[in-house]
Amino acid sequence: MKFRFAAIAALALFAANVAHADRLDDIKRAGVLRVAAFDSNPPFGFIDPQSKKIEGLDVDYGKAFAAKLGVKLEIIPTNPANRIPLLTANKVDIVLANFTITEERAKQINFSIPYFASGQQFIAKKGVLTSPDQINKLRVGVDKGTTNEIVLREKFPGATLVAYDDTPFAFTALRNGNVQAITQDGPKLIGLLANVPDKDKYEIPPFSVSDDLIGVGIPKGETRLTDFVNTTLRELEASGQAQKIYDTWFGPTTRTPLKRIFKIGDKS
Amino acid sequence: MIDELLAPRYLGWLLHGFFNTVVLAAVVCACATLVGFVLCVLRAVDRGGVSVAVRAYLSVFRNTPLLVQLFFWYFGVSSLFPEGWLEWLNTPHTWRVVALHVMWPPFEYLAGFVGLTLYTSAFIAEELRAGVRAVPAGQVAAGLAQGFTPAQVWRHIVMPQALRIALGPVLGQYMNAIKNSSLTMAIGLAELSYASRQVETETFKTFQAFGVATALYIAMIVLIEWGGQYLRRRVAYPH
Repeated sequence: MKFRFAAIAALALFAANVAHADRLDDIKRAGVLRVAAFDSNPPFGFIDPQSKKIEGLDVDYGKAFAAKLGVKLEIIPTNPANRIPLLTANKVDIVLANFTITEERAKQINFSIPYFASGQQFIAKKGVLTSPDQINKLRVGVDKGTTNEIVLREKFPGATLVAYDDTPFAFTALRNGNVQAITQDGPKLIGLLANVPDKDKYEIPPFSVSDDLIGVGIPKGETRLTDFVNTTLRELEASGQAQKIYDTWFGPTTRTPLKRIFKIGDKS
Repeated sequence: MIDELLAPRYLGWLLHGFFNTVVLAAVVCACATLVGFVLCVLRAVDRGGVSVAVRAYLSVFRNTPLLVQLFFWYFGVSSLFPEGWLEWLNTPHTWRVVALHVMWPPFEYLAGFVGLTLYTSAFIAEELRAGVRAVPAGQVAAGLAQGFTPAQVWRHIVMPQALRIALGPVLGQYMNAIKNSSLTMAIGLAELSYASRQVETETFKTFQAFGVATALYIAMIVLIEWGGQYLRRRVAYPH
């Protein structure tokens, strides 16, 4: 009796070990890659009105990973707050949800190398702003209470900052000529510009003054899975597939054309 | 405890904002009193078109929210300017007036000044009118019967009493002007409330940032209160 109990316990322990042995093997065995993605954050992850499925830049990367592994892709919708709990509770294998790499988060999960950077950029009338050092001479509209304001004050002490309650107000000030440029995260600016009637007059100069690096969230300690993701990302960049994914969502023919200023491998 | 306090750099921001609030409120109060006085007199002496125009002015500026008025002057009016005007308005110009350097303020300050002044002047005009109406009509009739001209009646009989009566309420409008000036942070004017928001964003010391701003506002109001009491004793008629 005692012997049988010990045997079961040993077996259970062994099984647990196998289950936790390696997530990469688990994925291959299950034949499914479970990816957490946003469902309302275009163009990163959103429900496509036609197909009723979650699509977007992040989802395209998920498809590429699944194809490389030769498994099916399962998308699990998430909100920002659930990204880490989904990983730690083993509900998903990886998170692809505009996930900014921070030291705090890196204590709880692994991050891949960055595959996207949403940097702080500017909108100005065409030709006004061509290089970052000009910012020191401009009046720049910022959103009150954002890190954009802090970054700008630190890096460009010569600039005159005018803080508004939100980005549309700042943009109105730019249109009227109260300020010569406004600043926000690039993807936000391009989304704003997409809805402006006289958008031809404005441009987003192709440089950023700070980078939020976006990476793939991976369960803590899954070294082989992390290596697989990193290797695949580098391959996607080398083959031109990463550029193709980018162009699908931010290319010149899209509603939100934003020049690509970050490539995979620029930062590790 | 020391690290609970605000660093000198942030206190500097708050003091700079305080300075802007004081200057803005002082200029607004001075100009609004002048405009308010003129409006009050115009409405009193004229019974025709001018009086109607003044009443229209008063109802427009008293009956719409100040925030909307500020947006109108800052975003609305500036969108009508021909291209280039705002650029000129926003570039720093300095003139030497005698020995003083006069700095041209950015457009936020101009719009904030215009908006606050027009708004405050409408309230001051009505406080002054209330003062005028408090002077018994019999005194005016008596003055005229004594051979005073209407202008002399105003200058020597109505005004001295009306201004004394209106002193308290007008000072109250000055206090309102100080508090209302905080709304100009919505159009990017870097006054005290704007500075406290900024300090809060950078330091996350919410209580300290807004606490210092509150204390400074209270200090301004208390000073006016004291000044008003002193002034009222000085100008009071002997009983």
